[in-house]
Amino acid sequence: MTSYLLSLLTIAVIAGVVGLALNIQWGMTGLVNFGLFGFYMVGAYACALLITQLGWAPWQAVLASIVITTVVCALVSLISLRLEDDYFAIVTLAFAESVKLIVNNEEWLTRGSIGIPGIPRPFPSDIGMLLFAMAGLALVFLAFETVSRSPLGRTARALRDDPLVAETVGKNVLGARLRLFALGGTALGIAGCLHAFYYQYIDPTQFNVAMTASAFMLVILAGRGSHRGVLLSSLTVVVLIEGTRFLDDAIPWFAPHQLAALRLILIGLALILLLIYKPEGFGREYRYLHGRGRATGRAAAPAARCRWD
Amino acid sequence: MMQILFNGLVTGMLVALPALAVALTFSVLRFANFAIGAMITAGAYLVYTLNVVLGLPLLVSGIVGAALAGALAAAIDLLVFRPLRDRSAVTLMVASMGVSFILENIVRFIAGNTPVGYDVALSRPWRWAGLRINVEQVQALVVCALALLVVWIIFRRSRLGRAMRAIADNAPLAATRGVSRQRVITATWVMSGVLAALSGTLIGLDATIDPQMGWLYALPAFAAAILGGLTHPLAAIPGALVMGVLSEAATLVLPSHYRIMVAFVLMSLLLILRPAGLFGTRWLTR
Amino acid sequence: MSAALTVRGLKAGYGGKPILHGIDLDVPAGSALTIVGPNGSGKSTLLKAIVGLVPAQAGEIRLGDTPITRRDAPARSRLGLAYVPQEANIFRNMSVHENLRLGWEFHPAPQSRAPLARKIDEILALFPEIRPHLKTPAGVLSGGQRQMVAVASAMMLEPDLLVLDEPSAGLSPRNAGLLFGIIGRIRRTGLTLLMIEQNVQLGLAAADQGLVLVMGRVRRTAPAAELAADDTLAELFLSLDRPGTHTPNP
Repeated sequence: MTSYLLSLLTIAVIAGVVGLALNIQWGMTGLVNFGLFGFYMVGAYACALLITQLGWAPWQAVLASIVITTVVCALVSLISLRLEDDYFAIVTLAFAESVKLIVNNEEWLTRGSIGIPGIPRPFPSDIGMLLFAMAGLALVFLAFETVSRSPLGRTARALRDDPLVAETVGKNVLGARLRLFALGGTALGIAGCLHAFYYQYIDPTQFNVAMTASAFMLVILAGRGSHRGVLLSSLTVVVLIEGTRFLDDAIPWFAPHQLAALRLILIGLALILLLIYKPEGFGREYRYLHGRGRATGRAAAPAARCRWD
Repeated sequence: MMQILFNGLVTGMLVALPALAVALTFSVLRFANFAIGAMITAGAYLVYTLNVVLGLPLLVSGIVGAALAGALAAAIDLLVFRPLRDRSAVTLMVASMGVSFILENIVRFIAGNTPVGYDVALSRPWRWAGLRINVEQVQALVVCALALLVVWIIFRRSRLGRAMRAIADNAPLAATRGVSRQRVITATWVMSGVLAALSGTLIGLDATIDPQMGWLYALPAFAAAILGGLTHPLAAIPGALVMGVLSEAATLVLPSHYRIMVAFVLMSLLLILRPAGLFGTRWLTR
Repeated sequence: MSAALTVRGLKAGYGGKPILHGIDLDVPAGSALTIVGPNGSGKSTLLKAIVGLVPAQAGEIRLGDTPITRRDAPARSRLGLAYVPQEANIFRNMSVHENLRLGWEFHPAPQSRAPLARKIDEILALFPEIRPHLKTPAGVLSGGQRQMVAVASAMMLEPDLLVLDEPSAGLSPRNAGLLFGIIGRIRRTGLTLLMIEQNVQLGLAAADQGLVLVMGRVRRTAPAAELAADDTLAELFLSLDRPGTHTPNP
């Protein structure tokens, strides 16, 4: 039972890091990163390969993977930052699918669909793993909170709500976007490493667009831009959804693939219901806490409006 | 060389249908419908149910299945997109991803992950002028060409098509000219559902169908639509053909499993160099 | 004289904030009413509320004897209400012919109305300038021609009431004069007109009645000639239309 609980919490913590990453990219900056899982995959594979193939120490591999993921994020955003939302989403998604295609096919490097087994953890015990993951989450959270309160964070929100105005008052639009997207990439790199350590085995099927969808669900539930909200939403959602995995044995009338499908249906349903009935989420963005927000943009709908009007 | 051209043409035609569906919904509703892949899958399985489970002839199953898929798309609009009508494109996009999950996994829940095939007799490929031609390829070409022709006529020549273009161009003005937006939107979704189901069936004829199949075609469809220029729906057709031929041609220098990636690279390059699309003349907004 | 349009106690605005605070106005059938007022007084919002693009929060709108407050814009247009917005008043990517056709084909009772070709001929008699450009995408025409296409395609609806939002906006004095010449001819056919015009003298000269709208309220209603001759009107504009009180039309 304790091991169930520990793994549940670890998964929730990793999801929290992913959620924070999307929160800074999309929640704060408005960059629709549908290819989230591709960057996460880059982090996980970089970490796993550096350790198992090149024999690097885990901490070296972690640092290197974070750098790699950040750089990859920056490069992808470089080519797509000028695009509108729809195109940005499509290009990032295409990038992620390409990563998956490469991992699947370049067997000399990634072992393809066989996957990479035997990834050693820096702290072998389950509790050690959890604490390690929590340390990562805390680091990302604190860093992002600081960024939110910095001029960069304010620029980001101004850009998301009204790019034209932000540009006319002389903000460096592309630079700010690039930095924040890359920062999200850093968090995704950390999450990828944690993923590799936690599962100790990775293969391409673990990474798919469901990851992107659940990350969006976490951020919407949290309230766009609210880092604290993401912590809370990742904990509740992961416990609710992953928790059902442990009930699988207790529900004999569905086959495993049906239960997996049901879980994904649940994610899709939750996403849509949230968008229709609770688009502003449950958390508050930093600036709303301080009551100087401006009610613009769709996501800032009723909650923000009633504070301002 | 001719073989590559021909295969590329067939692939392009198969992608053209969902690409056109994406471009149509984009022009009328202003958002990229990420559920297109799941709509392909759902359509293919609807036809499969009629054809294999109920034992109807493939032609009948195809027509009835496409009609059902059209109705399904209209129902999705009613349940999901109508309550979100005036929200931002990003909201609609994320919602369409939710729809994609629900549809794909309902299929998976009912039909399982195992690939299945339609009830068709196997036939030997024809050889003509040095080309190897499958019966399925010819069927795909004919059906696609017919479907595209019908959509072209509707879009360019009919009252519904003018209404669609009017809404794409200037929705408030269209409303004051008596064009009822909801009806046009419903019609657009029905067309989109039918196109997706047709392509799903044709893809299934050539190979097998499984719950993942649509997803594999979704991104090429987007790439083709973007290649044509999203604001000019019909340009998605040449966009898809160009992409089909180029990705087949790429197999001369690249391993064949990287075919899809050619589409992505092409799309990214195009977005950087010519955001209006390869064939898109400038969309007039001023 | 029966009323073509009656508005009583109309309140409307965007997102809960009322811009119009209880508007009353009447347009008798066959007459022309011009609304004038400083920028940001709610003129465009008033027209949008009348044609159904901005929801009414309170009050009543009647077209002839038919209450239309609860009907949507397409339904109102089918009842004989045609509208020419100030900006974005044509389908830019469609040909002039298609623009005209769109005004005609979503009209009710297709069997009782004139065939398309004859109707287009009839309307083009009023707008000879656009006849050579029927096949051209409307968006590439000059500003004056676009305005003509906009008014012409509204006329294709065979309306009982034509609503014009600043028809002379952005036009050269020559084109504005040309357009108002056509508006005068339209008015003589007996069609009821309701318009906003920033060029007060031009707008009032084309109308029977004038209405002054200030801060979302009716300040004054009077015969157009009387308003045009009134010097206090100019003062009103000068005192209210300072920079800072200016808001762009949404």
